[in-house]
Amino acid sequence: MDNPIDAAWSRLPDYLAQHVLLSGCALAAGVLISLPLAIAASWNPRLRWPILALAGLIQTIPSLALLALFYPVLLAASELSQRTLGHGFAALGFLPSFLALTLYAMLPIIRNTVTGLAGIEPDIREAAQGVGMTQRQSLLKVELPLAAPVIMAGVRTASVWVIGAATLSTPVGQTSLGNYIFTGLQTENWVFVLFGCAAAAGLALVVDQLFGLIESGFARRNRRRQVTGLLGLTVCVMTATLPLTVKARSDYVIGGKTFSEQYILSNLIVEQLAKHGLTARQSSGLGSGIILHALGDNEIDAYVEYTGTIWTNAMGHRDNPGRQVILREVSDWLKLNRGVSVLGSLGFENAYVLAMRRRQAETLGIRTIEDLARQAPLLRIGGDYEFFARPEWQALRQSYGLAFKSQTEYQSTFLYRAVAQGQVDVISAFSSDGRNAASDLLVLADPRQAIPPYDALLLVSPRRTHDAAFGEALRPLIGAVSVQAMRKANELVDGRGASPRQAARELGKMTGLDTSRRQ
Amino acid sequence: MARVAISIEGVSKSFDGGRVHVVRHLSLRIEEGEFIVLVGGSGSGKTTTLKMINRLIAQDAGEISVLGQRTDAQAEHELRRTIGYVFQGVGLFPHMTVAENVAVTPKLLGWSKAEIDSRVVELLELVELPAAQFGERAPHMLSGGQRQRVGFARALAARAPVILMDEPFGALDPITRSTLAENYRRLHNSMGLTTVMVTHDLMEAVLLADRIGIMREGQLVALGEPKTLLKAGHPAVRELFEAPCRQADEFRARLEGAGVDG
Repeated sequence: MDNPIDAAWSRLPDYLAQHVLLSGCALAAGVLISLPLAIAASWNPRLRWPILALAGLIQTIPSLALLALFYPVLLAASELSQRTLGHGFAALGFLPSFLALTLYAMLPIIRNTVTGLAGIEPDIREAAQGVGMTQRQSLLKVELPLAAPVIMAGVRTASVWVIGAATLSTPVGQTSLGNYIFTGLQTENWVFVLFGCAAAAGLALVVDQLFGLIESGFARRNRRRQVTGLLGLTVCVMTATLPLTVKARSDYVIGGKTFSEQYILSNLIVEQLAKHGLTARQSSGLGSGIILHALGDNEIDAYVEYTGTIWTNAMGHRDNPGRQVILREVSDWLKLNRGVSVLGSLGFENAYVLAMRRRQAETLGIRTIEDLARQAPLLRIGGDYEFFARPEWQALRQSYGLAFKSQTEYQSTFLYRAVAQGQVDVISAFSSDGRNAASDLLVLADPRQAIPPYDALLLVSPRRTHDAAFGEALRPLIGAVSVQAMRKANELVDGRGASPRQAARELGKMTGLDTSRRQ
Repeated sequence: MARVAISIEGVSKSFDGGRVHVVRHLSLRIEEGEFIVLVGGSGSGKTTTLKMINRLIAQDAGEISVLGQRTDAQAEHELRRTIGYVFQGVGLFPHMTVAENVAVTPKLLGWSKAEIDSRVVELLELVELPAAQFGERAPHMLSGGQRQRVGFARALAARAPVILMDEPFGALDPITRSTLAENYRRLHNSMGLTTVMVTHDLMEAVLLADRIGIMREGQLVALGEPKTLLKAGHPAVRELFEAPCRQADEFRARLEGAGVDG
């Protein structure tokens, strides 16, 4: 089967190409915007402070937040252009990443250009005027060439920043070397994480050296160094982005959120489509706040969502009127508000649950959340990044009067480590997670039904609702995935280090979808 | 009757909104072919006056004309292309070669490449820095004296009839200085240039100038041929002449006392 290093290598051409394309475009745009701004700032001292302050302010925004912020902004802009011009644009993927990284590239370039221009001796500037140059000629023929080494040093710094920050564009749907890191982190594939880090660092190092060559070429007025560096950069960018030109266009895009089950299911869907001769690519690792919008905007064609998530997060309900009512209302709401259709339930549920170490639960005599509530003030709870902000947690606290000694957030992989090692006593978990059994955790019953059902639904974008071939290919998945099978597949990834693709194949076999075997 | 090359009429300049005037009601007519040297201590306004001629500094009041045209009635950069300027501290562009530095103004004027190339060769020959040997060098590879010669070549490159020089020999050793000064004076004569030079060194002024203008607190306190100036006995003139004359006397006395005679 796939060995993780081979699997990592096989993705390198695509990830690297996208990463290089994104960073290159952002850096180029950063230079194009920053240079005029910096020149304006050095010509007009009154502009200088606001420009530098603004660039500095952008830099203080964490890069991941900057990337995430562009999505809603672009979405609004896209809707506006849809209304006024008649067509919108993709608010996910390349554009938000590109814009955020461009902003990110600006500070070092602006700062160095301003510094470089300020460092030119007044005598030289006077000489340029004295021989009859206009202000523009003085800038282009004298000041910029003299400031070039300092400016290039800024571009060099910016390039390293951008290449590093570009790994964070994965959650907004842009493929990058960050896909290794995010996938690896979610599926505990440390080979992937290391591979992604090494690839991004290696790329940054090569680019840094080449820009260093150009920079020293300017400093020593050595044209050969400048040309060699520039040529090296061009060759690198062209070689790296070559796979993009030969890449086959795929018919469909399947979305997935940032946890193992989602990676496995998007693989399962892609394989299922392939069996019907339809090509699809995955847009994995999407933030859970973004993904439903992406589907509604036809940026992805299908993904698996859970009824409870829509019921509480998107629709804002706090109650639990029962499985059938929720399923019906969720379907109606999706159709009405997002134009999204529900193809059907996959057949399992993945609900938020509370879990604790079986031995501790038995010692304390805890079986249900009601039992837990009585002892909670002495216990520590851990949750994933979303959990404590979600309405489910509010509902649990209100129904049972839960109050814990402490509350900590973990990335979901580390959440299981934390409970196994006793750093926390109770964790937020998912009912279909294979690690509950593997870590010998007891899932606590919810007798008051504070948490709504979380049936896994296969959702289809408005554009694909009447796509018969697509629907036909996906229909066999409906009702085919049992919670036992899903748990086993999750456990393969989370506990045994299998890739999501391997787990998806196993899941396909378990559910009897793997028709290719029978032939 | 020689024509007037530069006319300065009642010019004033203040850098602090009128409280202190660096130049006050200054008037001066310079004829074509003349070599005028402005002398004065620091703060006397001599450099400001020079820079107002090519509008590196704009006057607050008064009129300046160069070759019959008012300097404020034309684009600054076009004016400056018709006036050669030799800078204090040379002011060569460090990122350009010697040849590129000399070619700057002709290029701005849009000369053809062939014209520029032959002009550069001609001028570098003139300042005794043959293009074949020195043309491709960077300014930092030259000695101070060589750099200043490139500075002269650059000022002359566009065939400007008027040359302004701001302490052109200030940073050079005495021997280089006097050779260079003599050579320039010869060029001035043979090319029929009009030159305005600024210096604080009276000896230099006496050796080079047709007329000397002495400046003090923003005003031209004396103007005339070196000989007549000395005879007229203006207090400011005497003051300026006293120090070098005393030095010369002392110099001679010491050498004689030591038993060295020429």
